[in-house]
Amino acid sequence: MTLDSKTPDGPLAEKWDKHKFDLKLVNPANKRKYTVIVVGTGLAGGAAAASLGEMGYNVLNFCIQDSARRAHSIAAQGGINAAKNYPNDGDSIWRLFYDTVKGGDYRSREANVYRLAQVSNNIIDQCVAQGVPFAREYGGLLDNRSFGGAQVSRTFYARGQTGQQLLLGAYSSLMRQVETGKVKMFPRYEMLDLVVKDGHAKGIVTRNLVTGEIKSFAGDAVVLATGGYGNVFYLSTNAKNSNATAAWRCHKRGALFANPCYTQIHPTCIPVSGDYQSKLTLMSESLRNDGRVWVPKKKGDTRKPNEIPEDERDYYLERRYPSFGNLVPRDVASRNAKNACDEGKGVGDTGLAVYLDFANAIERMGEDTVRDKYGNLFDMYERITGENPYKVPMRIFPAVHYTMGGLWVDYNLMSNVPGLFVLGEANFSDHGANRLGASALMQGLADGYFVIPYTLGDYLANAGVSGTAIDSVEFQDAEEEVNAQIDKLLSINGKKTVTDFSRQLGLNLWNNVGMARNEKGLNTALKEIPELKTEFWSELKVPNDKASLNKNLEFATRVADYFELAELMARDALERTESCGGHFREESQTEEGEALRDDENFSHVTAWEYTGEGKAPNLHKESLEFKNVKLTQRSYK
Amino acid sequence: MLPLSKILGSSVGKKYVMALTGLAMVFFLLEHLLGNFLLYSTDPVPYNQYGHFLISFGNILIVAEFVLIAILLAHVVSGISVALGKKAARPSGYRQSGDAGGASKKTFASTTMIYSGLLTFIFLVIHIKTFKYGPEYAMTVDGVVMRDLHKLVWETFSNPVYVVWYVGTLLFLGFHLRHGFWSTFQSMGGNHPRYSPLIHSVGIFIAVVLAAGFIGIPIWIYFTGA
Amino acid sequence: METMTLNLKVWRQKDTNSTGGLVAYTLETVSTHMSFLEMLDVLNEKLLAEDGDPIEFDNDCREGICGMCSLVINGVAHGPWNGAATCQLHMREYKDGDTITIEPWRAQAFPVIKDLVVDRTAFDRIISAGGYVSMNAGGAPDANAIPISKSVADEAMDAASCIGCAACVAACPNASASLFTAAKISQLALLPQGHPERAERVLLMVEQMDSEGFGDCSNHAECEAVCPKQISISHIARMKREYMKAALMAK
Repeated sequence: MTLDSKTPDGPLAEKWDKHKFDLKLVNPANKRKYTVIVVGTGLAGGAAAASLGEMGYNVLNFCIQDSARRAHSIAAQGGINAAKNYPNDGDSIWRLFYDTVKGGDYRSREANVYRLAQVSNNIIDQCVAQGVPFAREYGGLLDNRSFGGAQVSRTFYARGQTGQQLLLGAYSSLMRQVETGKVKMFPRYEMLDLVVKDGHAKGIVTRNLVTGEIKSFAGDAVVLATGGYGNVFYLSTNAKNSNATAAWRCHKRGALFANPCYTQIHPTCIPVSGDYQSKLTLMSESLRNDGRVWVPKKKGDTRKPNEIPEDERDYYLERRYPSFGNLVPRDVASRNAKNACDEGKGVGDTGLAVYLDFANAIERMGEDTVRDKYGNLFDMYERITGENPYKVPMRIFPAVHYTMGGLWVDYNLMSNVPGLFVLGEANFSDHGANRLGASALMQGLADGYFVIPYTLGDYLANAGVSGTAIDSVEFQDAEEEVNAQIDKLLSINGKKTVTDFSRQLGLNLWNNVGMARNEKGLNTALKEIPELKTEFWSELKVPNDKASLNKNLEFATRVADYFELAELMARDALERTESCGGHFREESQTEEGEALRDDENFSHVTAWEYTGEGKAPNLHKESLEFKNVKLTQRSYK
Repeated sequence: MLPLSKILGSSVGKKYVMALTGLAMVFFLLEHLLGNFLLYSTDPVPYNQYGHFLISFGNILIVAEFVLIAILLAHVVSGISVALGKKAARPSGYRQSGDAGGASKKTFASTTMIYSGLLTFIFLVIHIKTFKYGPEYAMTVDGVVMRDLHKLVWETFSNPVYVVWYVGTLLFLGFHLRHGFWSTFQSMGGNHPRYSPLIHSVGIFIAVVLAAGFIGIPIWIYFTGA
Repeated sequence: METMTLNLKVWRQKDTNSTGGLVAYTLETVSTHMSFLEMLDVLNEKLLAEDGDPIEFDNDCREGICGMCSLVINGVAHGPWNGAATCQLHMREYKDGDTITIEPWRAQAFPVIKDLVVDRTAFDRIISAGGYVSMNAGGAPDANAIPISKSVADEAMDAASCIGCAACVAACPNASASLFTAAKISQLALLPQGHPERAERVLLMVEQMDSEGFGDCSNHAECEAVCPKQISISHIARMKREYMKAALMAK
């Protein structure tokens, strides 16, 4: 199989415009003859379903929550980037493109990223017109702030709830299409399989999570926008229902999975407090603007933080990175926190935390100013931990936050399975090996509002109306497989719960395929994960009820897929012997212990092909060419 | 304009009716109390002259009375409708009740509006029957024959049963007003960070003044008359 | 780590058509550091180990923004912490031996699906009746074309921060959906982008709200008190003004 990214020819800045002209169109009167299935209602899925409805397609839109408004995009705090250059500080489409490619450690496709930067401005216009209440200056114009170490202020925000406001904007447009009848919503439905007929994606099999009914839906194309797979780690900042099943089932039906080892670990999360911990809470990285990160110099120091004198504290980020200090990028900050804890200098009951101290900031600016800037975050911290961060340093620890890998797509966001489009975090396309802050919202909405409306039409115009019926043999087979898996899960009747297994798998992955990876650990993971999977299929216990709401059963179907995906992540991480972005191989580091890329051998996307149960997947490579940016080693000294 | 039936049938319109009629009745009560202050006097003349003055309006008074009754009935109907709607909107209640505190304005008064309202309605029927349609005593002041309501009131409130009934029900009227007054503003869209706290305080003040003012009369008469 | 024993009374209901009831459980070794939902997770794991049926309850983000969690705890929607959703409540609020009653949102418009899970699609229908700006992707003018004063934008954001959890309905003695409906109406009445459809929107959304079977607003403000985003009932007042203006001026 050769991977054709279908990147258009011509100068970078003209590719998208030229491509839009070359794409075939569907006549307005013909659009109503097509049915498009959209799975997911987050920024990408919600925006896509709304836009496609507006254009006149019949859209069937599915989500696992009780309402389209609850997709996990809603939890994004910081903001959304755009190259508006309103602050007049030298930003441009080119600079946003450049920063994003560099931030991704040169492992993303230039043309995709450039397009993302181009449409970023349209997104802001679109959202303002929808009534998204972005923060404003006193003069009434939009406010911007700098974010994630960018040198320009290009981040638009709505308090600490930007993701929520953007999602509710997309949701409102979606609800408008529901009212017109162009979009039909299916809340509390989970996609459990993709139906491929004659090589094209023609429908999905779902489970109604309330009644347990297995039901197929046919369409002329399937748009997958089901988010990332961070919950493979069990503990992550993702919502509890976020999962990888829809994407994984597509993978098993032929879609290639790209760069599964690229996961982002966010440095400022509230640490784990006990083994009952169900998820981790992110605290905005803006805290590092004024907070100082430190650990005691002495190993196993159990003194209270305020009792540790200044000269016995190690402000390790300031020490190691004098120019960037506490503001080093996410991956660097996370790795250093891990190293400090590995050395036995971690703090708190578990020893898995470092201090983020505002004592200096309070002394310098006064408590009131600190409260103005970070009051909400401090309150949130206090609510969860019961500690007052104005008096006691915060304890933070890195947590899994985002997955850059995902299903492989071409420039049109279509996977290698014709008719299957993949948007947002579910695809691999725009962030390379590391995502910059405030770029996820940008990508989700770009894909949904401004890319898929063009590229889907081209596919449909070429493929024509399919008229596939759900009683065809392909649908029946898929339904049978789904039913068989559920029956199997229910029949095991073992001793361990799905949470037990998910937690165990997550810990294994965190230890072996986490912030720092090495050959030994990855081989351990590749040995232990299949063993755990075998145990899962013989020791799982799920309440035996498939005809009503059964969250344990839902999670069991998801965790079953996690084992397979986790194995692929380890395999991919083992294959990529270089370090890049969120993927740090201990064997590949500079003398100072920083990530060392190997551009000669790894300037490519790895795309894995499923070959069957228990068989090794096939590796395909899409080589990445950089004609417009110069590859450099990142340095934050 | 939308059809009136549609506006009045909506949840918003219904509460406008309740608010407007409620506010009108507050004004009536204030006027009523002002006049009734004359009852604190053992001298029947000023009060009876006031009554006679009102009666002298003739047909205008009758029209005013009908308007008042219409206002009252509209208030009662919308109130009952809200109460029935409440039951329909939550047929099965919470097994354990609780209060959120904080910004809540839920009070004993606010949760008993339908009961304090119905009690006040029953009170009104009896009140009108007792006095308006009670025994017609007469007296002559400066050659003018007029009804001696003062005597009837003083006679009535020499009965402790009446006094207790009045004090009890008027207390509930106070509670009704305590939530009702500021509520009329909120229901008609009047809410402002600066004025709303003031309106809320004024509501409590009015509730106390009206309840205490009216409750004082039977108590004063009972103890003074005895 | 401090631990405690709790007496829980949890609403169990097989499905919409069954009658439910409170079932008592005793849970030991509850850590004060747990979140409320983690406490229920632990109870569920225990129930599973004893071959019992786990308690179903809605939850997703567990950080107070998705609006999925929905428990009435000792008679108060989202429990005792003001300005917080159920998932943000932590067990240090409770002490050893406490009895906690946990019930679902109760409203005719929100049928119980199972145990503590209810169907809130009525809220989606209220939004689809008019809670949007009718604009298609692609046609928007430059984002800075219309300046909006900071105070207006801030007030619109106050309203827009609604997470759609429906605690307002659950807490309202009348089961009214006024705060939820008003928050969206108010946001779009404040912002100039919402003005072209301002009158039509309020009429349609109020009509939809009424037809879903919610109760009337009696100004208890219990909704504001339980709202995780502390949305003010001043938005309900704005909805009422908007409604009457629109109703009287309708052609």
